[in-house]
Amino acid sequence: MNTGVRCQVSGVSKKLFPVPCSLFTVLLLFIVHFSLFTAAEAKIYIDITSPAIKKLPIAIQEFSGTEGKQIADIIRDDLEFTGFFLCIDRAAYIESSAEAFNPKNWSVIGAEAVVKGTVIGEQNITAVVSLYDVFEGHEIFKKQYKTGKSAIRQLAHTIANDIYKHITGEEGIFGTKVAFVAEDEGKKGLYMMDWDGAGVKRLGIKGNFVLRPHWSQDGSKIVYSSERGGQWGIYLLDFTTMSEKKLFASRGLNIAGNFSPDGDEIMFSSSQDEMYGLYNLRISDSKLTRITSARWIEISPAVSPDGKLVAFVSDRGGTPQIYIMNRNGHDTRRLTFEGSYNTSPGWSPDNKKIVFVGRVSGKQQIFIISPDSSEPTQLTDKWNNEDPSFSPDGRFIIFSSDRNGDSSIYIMRANGESQKKITPPWLRAFGPRWSPN
Amino acid sequence: MKRIFLLVLALVLVFVFAGCAKRAVTTPVEQEAPKETAQKAAPVEQTPMEAEEPVMAKAEPKKVETMPVREITEAKSFQFGNIHFDFDKYTIREDAKPTLKSIADWLIKNRDAKMILEGYCDDRGTNEYNLALGEKRAKSARDYIVSAGVTKNRLDTISYGEEKPLCKEQTEDCYQKNRRVEFVSGKAGK
Repeated sequence: MNTGVRCQVSGVSKKLFPVPCSLFTVLLLFIVHFSLFTAAEAKIYIDITSPAIKKLPIAIQEFSGTEGKQIADIIRDDLEFTGFFLCIDRAAYIESSAEAFNPKNWSVIGAEAVVKGTVIGEQNITAVVSLYDVFEGHEIFKKQYKTGKSAIRQLAHTIANDIYKHITGEEGIFGTKVAFVAEDEGKKGLYMMDWDGAGVKRLGIKGNFVLRPHWSQDGSKIVYSSERGGQWGIYLLDFTTMSEKKLFASRGLNIAGNFSPDGDEIMFSSSQDEMYGLYNLRISDSKLTRITSARWIEISPAVSPDGKLVAFVSDRGGTPQIYIMNRNGHDTRRLTFEGSYNTSPGWSPDNKKIVFVGRVSGKQQIFIISPDSSEPTQLTDKWNNEDPSFSPDGRFIIFSSDRNGDSSIYIMRANGESQKKITPPWLRAFGPRWSPN
Repeated sequence: MKRIFLLVLALVLVFVFAGCAKRAVTTPVEQEAPKETAQKAAPVEQTPMEAEEPVMAKAEPKKVETMPVREITEAKSFQFGNIHFDFDKYTIREDAKPTLKSIADWLIKNRDAKMILEGYCDDRGTNEYNLALGEKRAKSARDYIVSAGVTKNRLDTISYGEEKPLCKEQTEDCYQKNRRVEFVSGKAGK
């Protein structure tokens, strides 16, 4: 059973219990790393912006030291999932971990890049990692990392990010988190985990029901809806203080949308006063602005990452469809026309795509569409697939699916490839949202 | 006599061991599973953890109290049956009108009574939209009762969407049962 990384709390009771390490594992992580060597000029080994990508054959050797294999395996899994790397099977390697890098040992097995590393220490771990260019026969970078034993996965993800950055020129997402909803003793609560499903932790927040959270763009807080005491309210959890604040609650239905780019405003939908409406709430001074007013359903507002547009769901035409308007509520236009049920819009970080859920033959499937076109692309086809959201680099999508029975969380590339379950089998999990950093 | 004594002793021992064995099996499981309740995790007095660990448990948000709506719901449905809706719709069907009319009559007779109308959906569809649909169903039912002469402020609505289904089979019968409004009478919960 994988309960992930736990933080040990030495309290009066001396009792061990799982606590949410969450994204602050990353922020507070005691990882010291510095470049020992940097190539004079940055060379891009894979242009991942090109439409036809040739996978880069890479060899990731088992690092020496007790945790060496685990670290190398995590790096391999991270890089492989992106679809930009072809990780060569270790059985084919000629050169041993202890031997110095010799490009001839690698060119014969087709490797173009090689990762070698050493790990020393038991509790406090120091890893020294080198990335080599086989063609040029030189070291691309060499770096030293230090951390505590409990943060080994984070250490490996940090190394994977560095390798990814050197080879593609872009930031990797291997250190990111996922906030989601899972069932705990019959009640739904908020959870957090690493993007690869490791380190599942409860955040200790429960209403009778909790809906999927939304991150602020700086990753310091989430906003979500919860039913408490017969009322649906909107709540904010600030990770810097680990405190929860009620932003809004009333009769009727109140469902949180996402944050504005600066993190000071949220949009939400409410039926507090008979009419449905989309609202903007400024958190600093609680200024509430009504954006729309409707006799029909209007929910799930999603502000674009550049703050200009809002995608939302309305059944004004008789069926739920996705519409787009300006932040001020003007220039509304319908985005989806195919099918009788399109909901749950979410933007890509570059504002160029909207991911949403459409119904096909009675099942929910994930689609992607450009905000200026009406040609959606279907990405899933097995059972029900819901709650999609983009990774911060826009290259992956996380979602929930019941394809293997109970609802679990999956990730895939933004083109629908490599769909992979990441939550453990004992957890009924829904509503994932990828952290922005 | 001695045999009976031994038998009793044996039985007692069996129970004692059974008890021990059971405890020995369950305890580690409970510790291992991420089942610790928030109450246990909540106290702010916890001293911080070891140096390199992130400090988060200390200020873990307090658990939210569960509220009385559930208590009321236990007593419901004895007086009034549920009304049902078509798939993806929130219009009141003809077969729902007699129930709504009898609820209106009851509320007119029982002037102190208030009522919560709970809207629900079947589990097809996405969570947020189903919540909106459930809300619309509850409001449609409320509007019908209001039109029969009951003042609006005696009626409250809440949606649970696809949460709390009455059944979980993937059949039209079951879907239909779940697409409903339930009527909870009482002193209105809060």
